Amino acid sequence: MVLLLLFVAAVAAAWWYTHRQQTLVEDTIAVYYVKDDGTTLVPWRVSLGPARDRASVAFYAATQCVAGPPPETQAVRFPAGTRVRAVDVVGSTADVDLSKDVASSAEGGFAESAEFKALVWTLTQPSLHLSSVNVRVGGARVATLPGGHLELDEPLTRSSF
Amino acid sequence: MNRSRVRAFSSTLVAALAIAAGAGGARAQDRAPNLWFQGTRLIFGHAAPMQGDLAVSTRDEGLRRFLDRLGATVSYQPQERYVVITAQDRRTIVFTIGDPGYTIAGVRAQAPFAPIADGNDVILPFFALARALYVEPVQGPAETVLQPRVGALDVRSDGSRTFVTVRGAMPLVTTTNAESPDHLQISIAGLGSSLAAARRAPGPAVDEIDVAVGGSARVPMTTVTIAGARGTTHRVVPGDSPDAFTVVFEAHGPLAQVSPPTPPPLGAAPPSLPPEYSQYGPSPTAAPPVVAGRATVTDLAIEPGDGDTLAVRVSLSGATAYEWHRLPDNRWYVDLENTTLTGPGRDEHPPFGAVQSVRVRQQGSSDAPSVRIAFSLTGEQRIDLAPSDSGLVITVFDQPGDDLARSGTGQTGGVPIMPSATAVESASPAPWKYGPATNPKLIVIDPGHGGGDTGTAHNGLTEKVLTLEIAERLRSLLVAAGWTVRMTRDTDIDPVSAENLARMRADGKPNADDRAYLQTRCDVANNAGARMFISIHANAAPIEGAHGTTFYWYKPQDAPLAQALEKSVIAAAGSFDDGTRHENFYVIHHTTMPAVLIETAFVTNPGDAALLRQPSFLQNLAQGIANGVKAFAGAPSSNALSEQQ
Repeated sequence: MVLLLLFVAAVAAAWWYTHRQQTLVEDTIAVYYVKDDGTTLVPWRVSLGPARDRASVAFYAATQCVAGPPPETQAVRFPAGTRVRAVDVVGSTADVDLSKDVASSAEGGFAESAEFKALVWTLTQPSLHLSSVNVRVGGARVATLPGGHLELDEPLTRSSF
Repeated sequence: MNRSRVRAFSSTLVAALAIAAGAGGARAQDRAPNLWFQGTRLIFGHAAPMQGDLAVSTRDEGLRRFLDRLGATVSYQPQERYVVITAQDRRTIVFTIGDPGYTIAGVRAQAPFAPIADGNDVILPFFALARALYVEPVQGPAETVLQPRVGALDVRSDGSRTFVTVRGAMPLVTTTNAESPDHLQISIAGLGSSLAAARRAPGPAVDEIDVAVGGSARVPMTTVTIAGARGTTHRVVPGDSPDAFTVVFEAHGPLAQVSPPTPPPLGAAPPSLPPEYSQYGPSPTAAPPVVAGRATVTDLAIEPGDGDTLAVRVSLSGATAYEWHRLPDNRWYVDLENTTLTGPGRDEHPPFGAVQSVRVRQQGSSDAPSVRIAFSLTGEQRIDLAPSDSGLVITVFDQPGDDLARSGTGQTGGVPIMPSATAVESASPAPWKYGPATNPKLIVIDPGHGGGDTGTAHNGLTEKVLTLEIAERLRSLLVAAGWTVRMTRDTDIDPVSAENLARMRADGKPNADDRAYLQTRCDVANNAGARMFISIHANAAPIEGAHGTTFYWYKPQDAPLAQALEKSVIAAAGSFDDGTRHENFYVIHHTTMPAVLIETAFVTNPGDAALLRQPSFLQNLAQGIANGVKAFAGAPSSNALSEQQ
């Protein structure tokens, strides 16, 4: 009987833990951008709609990050036209597929670093329970952006920057 | 579920089914309103009137054309519930499937019906979306004109200046009707307006703004008149996108004297403050200036302090004087004078709500070094500094403080040691202890990009050309100093080895060719057991203001080389010091010896671009790098000798 109770408790705890990781209870989420000094991260908060499942919120957060902060804000921004094609959540990794516009303008390490730093910080905020971000471009994995510098072959984490 | 909800749900479902059915019955556009946009009829393939709006599928070609004209994009991932439309000016309009509430740049609004999932697409309320993009449906007798409008007129002030930003649905075509220094009237063709007709005294340099609309529904015209305050002047500057422009009115009287200084970037020297900025000047209680001594930061620990505080404990080997400043944008920094860091700079993001980041950097020159510790705070938090037995303790409080001082000075370790001639001698060369140690006299120089990979190109400058020229100058200097030098390329090619191409392709990993190109550059140094690897690049940014020289490192053994190069290049070339930065760049990650990627200057910055056109600047950059190599490793013969020992 005791073993049965322990088993039920363990199942309940596992369900609670999994469920907690799959949905968000907050009404807002942080989205980061990098200021035009190229290094300073700044969060701003955006409201969530009724959809709170982790995959939806990750997609939403990535899309907001790529769109960038309000126009009057001085920020390093993704190249114009860049959009998030898809975000798949696999375990603790977000697989982000960006449109090819992200590679439309050959930029130096300054912009690349700032853009992806913001994306990684947005998707690895604690409430999403994600630790790394894998980047694809136009559906394909890439070593770097064309003519780029930052290594995108392996998932990026906060310590990549 | 109440009755009205049932009715709404039913009509939504019927409309969705009608749209999804497409050509199954009468053609959808026959039921849709007669819509005109920019002089042409907008035809939808899948649309139906619904609850005073128009239900349109995201797969509809008509919707796609409409959004393309406005420079907007749709992001939607099947099976998920958010649909995000990004406007040309980067505002986001966010719909949620099943919820009539939506947001425009974070502000909530209500649509007549909730978006509906339709397989891999979504059915959206079109008119609600159009209005969010500053396009207003104007009903005529037999048609509905989708009229693009001037949708926002933002006014902000900064001291003596007032900025008026006009933003429309589409690129703005303007005509200046009347202009004098303190008055401007501009007409915007093709756009109507949803703005209030007049604003009185919106800023210190502007007395009044009037907005008038003329023309017809199909060919509207909006006229904006701005009356500046007496004695002001103005200038028009392009906006951050083609659908916006900004008019800056500036007062040239007493107002100008109260303008706060622009905060410098964190890497910049402390601001030199004119006396009239008393709110930013030294506090009355600040310690008197002291003569700086010579000290070394031997350790820096960031840890929870007493109560709800964060403590940064700086261990110092000697006495030093310091000066701190609080900037208006929630940054705070302290400079330790005549002090050097023993390790690389640091960027920390402690798990403490009041602190966004802590940045530690070596600054100054070899004979006047300083260490800057800078905090980005979330507000006006109180920060205390106190000398300790081992150096200095900086305590950040979680609560905002009242009436905080803006700057101050102090000293640690008793009476500072006066600088002496011996104190500024350069440190002994760092011991060589990394890499395969097979070729201690060899330095590999990597001129970035090449061949079909041009790198960045702006202001008439092309990165691959600049990098090769600097590399060739550097090669001459290093060879003259006794080093053996190998270049990853010495012509306009993007080098790649057949072995790497074959190996990478055999690995089965994606994007094998790109990796093969970059790995080839690394292998030139790895296979030869080079002493160090220096990759030369030119930077670019979407922001014209970004400028300076940046030194990127990845492995721990890269950091001392990056610091040595930073110090010597800035001294020799005189460019702005953008600092050393830790980044996962491929060529410094996959080389096995100390490696640094130098972004020499920004081709996108007019000042930097002018420098990069001067052969003397390129030569000074090369000389600075050569000096840094010497500071880091000494002379090549001494290394060879120590290696034999």
